[in-house]
Amino acid sequence: MTLLSGSRVVVLADHLADFAGSMLARLGAEVVLAGASELTAPRAAAWHKGMTRSAAPLAELLDGADVLLDDRRTDARKGIDALAAGYSRLVHVVVTGWPEGQGTRPVTDLTLMAQSGLMTVIGTPDRPPLRLPGEQAYALTAIQTATAALMGLRARRMTGSGQRIAVSALQSAALANYREAVMYEHTGRIGHRQGNMLVRGKSGVRQIWPCADGYVTWSIIDNPGMMRALVRVMQAEDAAGELAEIDWDAILVADTDQAVIERWQGVVEAFFVRHDRQTLAQWSLEHGWGLSPIMRLSEVPDSPQMQARGMFEDGLPGPLFAVHPGGAA
Amino acid sequence: MTTGALTGLKVADFSWVGAGPRSTKDLADNGATVVKIESRRRLDLGRRSPPFAGGDRRNHDASVFFAQTNTSKKSVTINLGDPRGVEVAKRLVAWSDVVVENFGPGYMDRIGLDWATLQQVRPGIILASVSVAGRSGPLAGFRGYGNSAAAYSGHCDMTGWPGSDPHMPPFAYGDVVAPMMLTVAILSALEQRDRTGEGCHVDVSQIEAMVHVAGDLFAEMPQEKPANSDPVMAPHGVYPCAGEEAWIAIACEDDAQWWALCGVLGAGDLSGRWPDAAARHTAGEELDAALSVLTTAQDRDALEASLVAAGVPAGAVLDGKGLSEHPALNAAGHFVTVDHPVIGAAKMPAPPYTFSATPGTVGPSPCLGADNAEVFAEVGLTETEIAALTEEGVLA
Repeated sequence: MTLLSGSRVVVLADHLADFAGSMLARLGAEVVLAGASELTAPRAAAWHKGMTRSAAPLAELLDGADVLLDDRRTDARKGIDALAAGYSRLVHVVVTGWPEGQGTRPVTDLTLMAQSGLMTVIGTPDRPPLRLPGEQAYALTAIQTATAALMGLRARRMTGSGQRIAVSALQSAALANYREAVMYEHTGRIGHRQGNMLVRGKSGVRQIWPCADGYVTWSIIDNPGMMRALVRVMQAEDAAGELAEIDWDAILVADTDQAVIERWQGVVEAFFVRHDRQTLAQWSLEHGWGLSPIMRLSEVPDSPQMQARGMFEDGLPGPLFAVHPGGAA
Repeated sequence: MTTGALTGLKVADFSWVGAGPRSTKDLADNGATVVKIESRRRLDLGRRSPPFAGGDRRNHDASVFFAQTNTSKKSVTINLGDPRGVEVAKRLVAWSDVVVENFGPGYMDRIGLDWATLQQVRPGIILASVSVAGRSGPLAGFRGYGNSAAAYSGHCDMTGWPGSDPHMPPFAYGDVVAPMMLTVAILSALEQRDRTGEGCHVDVSQIEAMVHVAGDLFAEMPQEKPANSDPVMAPHGVYPCAGEEAWIAIACEDDAQWWALCGVLGAGDLSGRWPDAAARHTAGEELDAALSVLTTAQDRDALEASLVAAGVPAGAVLDGKGLSEHPALNAAGHFVTVDHPVIGAAKMPAPPYTFSATPGTVGPSPCLGADNAEVFAEVGLTETEIAALTEEGVLA
C-alpha cells in the first residue's frame, strides 16, 4: 500500500504506540523504530511489522521526519519536548496512559481495560470479569495514535506547521464502550455479566449455538424478514415446528415472555445441531439470516475470505484494508 | 489558532447505525463539514436505539445512542428511492471530498451512485465503504452485524475462560474498531490525494479490523483461550474486593512491582515463595487464589490507590456508573456536555486526543433534516426547487 508514500515517521514505543507505527508503515510510510520496550518475539512480529530499527541519535532521525510517535506509557525521554519543538513542521504525537494533566500512574493493557467499563459485562456472573482477547487497550490506543498523526499531517497542509498532539490510552479504551455509561446516565441501569445471553428489555436471547461441527452465532431479533428467511429453510428441511405459524411482524422480542423464547430457541437449536458450520453459513449467505460460523483462531488465516482479500502475509495480518483504484473488485 | 484539524474537509455521509457514523463523528468533531444523508422513509436505525431522552422512543430526535454517535454533523433528508433524490445526492457528491457508505451489498450501484459515477461527478473523490466482510471475496454479499465480525475473526473463539464455549460479549466490538480503521483509511487516502490528485475507493472490513487488533494472538496462535492471563506478566488478573461486584485488576510487569504488591498486601511470605516471574507463572491458579484471599476483604478503591502509589499497575473494574463518574476522564474533557434541542444538556464522548494548534469541538447531533435549507441551497437548489421537491416527497 502506498497511500503514505514519502512520509517519514520516527517511533519511540512502549506498548501504546507500537502498532501505530506499524500501521503507518503498512500504509506506505517510511517508519523508523528508534526505541522500544521489550516484547515477546510473537508480539514484536505482530506490532513492529514493517518498521525498521535504528540506533541513530534521535536528533538525526528527526531531521526531515514528518511525525514523531512518542510513547510515554512509563516515562518520557529526557529533553524530548524541547528537541521536538525545534522542528517546526514535525507532528509530535505524545501518548500517555492517563490523560496529560491528570497525573501519571502505572498502566498496562489489563488495568486500562478494567477502567474502560467493558470487562464488567464480559464473561459469566459466577466468575471474575474478563478482558477481550489480546491487547485491546493497547491496540485501540495505537489506532487513535495513528489517527492523530494523520490528522496532524492534514492540519499541517492547512497551516504549514506541525504541532503537539496528546493521546490518552485511558480515553481510547473508554471510548470503545459506547453503551454502559450512556445507559447508566439516562436509565440508571448498570450492565453485568450475562454469559452468552443478550438481554434487552424483559427477555434475553442466545447468541451462541452448537452445531454439528462446532458453533455458530445467531440470535432471535426484531427483524421479521430475517426470521422468515430462516423459517422458510427450516420448513423445507421439515424442522420449523411451531415457528412456521408465527407472525414475525407482530413480535417484539424484548416484550416476549422468556419461556416462549426458550421454547422457540429449542426448535432452532434442534435444527442447527443437525447441520455443520459450512452448510449453515452458506444458507445464511444465500438467504440473509445474519448467522455466522464461529471460526477457530487457527482457521482464520486460511479462510477463503482472508485468502481472496490477501489479508495475511506469512501468517500475520498484512494490509489494513483494501484499496480499489478501479472500483470494488 | 485554527479550529479543527480537518477544517475545510467536506464529507457526504450516507452511512447509518454504528460502523459508518462513528468514523464520520471523528471527522466532524475535528472540523470537517459532515452532511448526513438520511430519509424519513428509512430512518437510521440508530434513531430507534435506546436510551431515549425522557423515555420518548417515538421521537426520532430523542435517541441518546444516535446523539453520541453523530455529534457535530449536519442532517439532510433525501429519498434515494426516487431518481430525483439521487440527482440531488449527486450534487452533494460534487460538493464533497469524501463519500462514506455502509449500505448492504450492491445498494450504491443499484441507485446509480456506483464508483464510476462518483468519479465522473467529482474527479478525485474518495469513496469510503465499511461492511462486515469487505466489498470483495466470497463473503462480499454477506449481510451481518458486529457479532459476525467477532465470529469470523477468531475473537469469539478466544473470548472466555479456558475450556469454555466461545463467548460473545453483549456489545458489537466490530462496530467499534472498524470505524476507527475507516477513519485511518479516509485520512490516508486524503494524504495520497493531496500528493497525487488521485482519489480511490477504500474498503474496510469489520472482520479484518478485528483481525488486526488481535495481531498478537495470530502471532502466538495459543491453543487455549488466554482469559486474563499474560505470557509475560504474573500476577495478571482480576481479584475480588469487599462488597458486591467489587473487583480490581492487578498486573506486575517485573519483580519490583511484585515485591511492592506483596508489601501493600502485607504478604512478604509470598514474595519469597514466588520470587520471579517464572515461578509465579508456574504457580498459576495457586498464585491467584493466594492473592484473592488477601484482596477479598479490602476496599477496592483504597487498595487501588495504595497499589498505584507503590508503583503497581492496578485498576478498579468499573461499571457504567464508574465510567460515567470517572474523575480523570471527566477532568480531561472525555465527556463534553452538549446542548441538544430535544435531548437537552447531555454528556457526549470527545476524541481521545488534544491538538495544541487545531483543537476540535464537539457539537450536538442534528435533528432529522435540520439542515435541509442550508445544505440544499449550498449545492445550488433554489428555494422554489427545495419547496417543490419537499412537497413531492423527494427531500424527505
